[in-house]
Amino acid sequence: MTKSKINLGIIGIGRMGITHFSIINSHPDVNIKAVVDTSGLILSLFDKYIKGVNTYKDYTDLFKSETLDAVIICTPPTLHYPIAIEAAKKNIHVFSEKPFTTKKILGKELAELFEQKGLVNQVGYVNRFNDVFAKVKEYLELGIIGNVIRFKSEMFSRTITKAEEGNTWRDSHENGGGALFEVASHAIDLIIFLVGKPDKITGSSLSKVYSKNVEDTVFATMLYKSGISGTLNVNWSDESYRKPTNKIEIFGTEGKILADQHGIKIYMKNANSEHNLKEGWNSIYITDVFKPVPFYVRGNEFTSELYHFIDCINDRKIKNRCSFGDATGTLEAIEAILNDYEQNGKF
Amino acid sequence: MEPIDKIVFGDNQFFGINHMSQEKAQQLSEKFHDLSSIINVYEMAFDSGIRAIMLNSNDRAKSICEHFKDNKSKYPELSWYPSIPYPHKYANLISEKGIIPTINEILFKDNSAMGLLGMIATGSAAVFGKDAIKMMKMLIDVEMRMYKGLNIKAIFLQNIITDLLLGYDVKEIFVEYCHYIKIKYKVLPGLITQNMPKLLEKLQEWEIEEVVICSSFNKIGYLMSPNIESYTNAATKNDASKYQIMAMSTLASGAIRAKEAYEFINQQNVQSVVFGASSKKHIEETISLIKL
Repeated sequence: MTKSKINLGIIGIGRMGITHFSIINSHPDVNIKAVVDTSGLILSLFDKYIKGVNTYKDYTDLFKSETLDAVIICTPPTLHYPIAIEAAKKNIHVFSEKPFTTKKILGKELAELFEQKGLVNQVGYVNRFNDVFAKVKEYLELGIIGNVIRFKSEMFSRTITKAEEGNTWRDSHENGGGALFEVASHAIDLIIFLVGKPDKITGSSLSKVYSKNVEDTVFATMLYKSGISGTLNVNWSDESYRKPTNKIEIFGTEGKILADQHGIKIYMKNANSEHNLKEGWNSIYITDVFKPVPFYVRGNEFTSELYHFIDCINDRKIKNRCSFGDATGTLEAIEAILNDYEQNGKF
Repeated sequence: MEPIDKIVFGDNQFFGINHMSQEKAQQLSEKFHDLSSIINVYEMAFDSGIRAIMLNSNDRAKSICEHFKDNKSKYPELSWYPSIPYPHKYANLISEKGIIPTINEILFKDNSAMGLLGMIATGSAAVFGKDAIKMMKMLIDVEMRMYKGLNIKAIFLQNIITDLLLGYDVKEIFVEYCHYIKIKYKVLPGLITQNMPKLLEKLQEWEIEEVVICSSFNKIGYLMSPNIESYTNAATKNDASKYQIMAMSTLASGAIRAKEAYEFINQQNVQSVVFGASSKKHIEETISLIKL
């Protein structure tokens, strides 16, 4: 007997929604039943060119009219929570774009709800699916550079390079905009993924370059009870970067790792023949560690994360690599940075 | 269908694009800050026998095109293979403004030079008529303006667009794109993809022929979805009178040595190679190794 396909809806057809549609539509186990967007033009384009996909202007109509197994949420962040709640009521698995929700208390509630109902839940922190960062994770778990002592997590992009009028969702914290929610969240997630959740945040600063109501740069120091410490440095108004770039530096008792999406430089105090690492510097490129994906649109990681979501639905025993619970850790750090800056960073 | 050039000189090296290392990309971007340093490399390439150029319609391509138009008599007869659009321009605008304002900005604000009124008339019709095909044709025309006056052989759609649309599985867009390039520009339509086997299969299913497919093709399977075996099989079975295949990323961003890389490529049923290099030694070495 052939198993039935996963009926899926996509809510929010912006930049991420457009990409996710293309990727997930290539998955042999998935049937995209419907899309939701507030733009009449987008919906009419779907009606005209994409056969067999229903369109809705309001997500509540989607849940009323369609029988779905899963949804992908790509709306502005403030809508993620109410949509996920509706999905949970109908026992629908959810993939939500980052930063998941705008408050840790809402994130925590959703994480508990979905776990309790046994529903697959995933957040789109795509770096976890990048083959280079996955390799860094593997090295750390194997203790290749000994005990981690210090780290630095940075992210740069040219997202906002002109004065903002302050009228889009990107220019409001309430809606999940600003460099902290949108960009720094990736750099924080990478810290949590590789090193763990910080116990204390201090020395936070949020500065403006172009935005009217939100920060364009983020800096913070993270401290751990274990003695680990590290810094976060983010700027989404940096024109010198052609593409959004994450950089991570991790210093350990036995060596040091420098990595970005494209490669790793690893310094070894002593050679490790089992992992083919010589004493001193070693370079590992994306071309050494990539795993081909079944269908490529925007980088292997975008395909890998969505296919992983489907794998988790097909086999509930698989542990999700970026669950609501994982993403709630990032929201906790974001709130701690906001509080620290509010209390200690302002004159 | 008219055969394409066997060796085409690419442009990634000029624009700070390197898939393997951002440090290398930054060095290149610094090195090629001036137009004259880019032109020097082209001239070295011509001396080594290069006669075909692939050039993406990015911010700097316009001045390159102008140089070659203004100095036509100085150079040998060249074939041009534009690739459109420059995806980051759209991606950045879309993040900043949203999709519809981006299309409006590109179609209307950047168009003071060329029949603005006419563009607005057809443009508003396109937007209000919700006609994606018309919108696509207008965007092609905007992107192609800088190449006017050059000897164009094929027009490529960038892989981010090709593969995005391939995922949507909409025959009509591909039919219309290829038809428009053939009718309006009277050249071969080209599609850049990282999913060559799937694209080839779809084009056959949709009965779209006489297309150039440009795709990553290298010994280690880098940027080749779903895998290297599907690529070599698809190429072996391919009828080159219907689809010509142009291999790119043949060195996998430097992960494979040139000799080894082209020994592999020379065994494949590909009709052309596009490569980028910035030293005379590398250009000559590559040309000597490619035997299609």
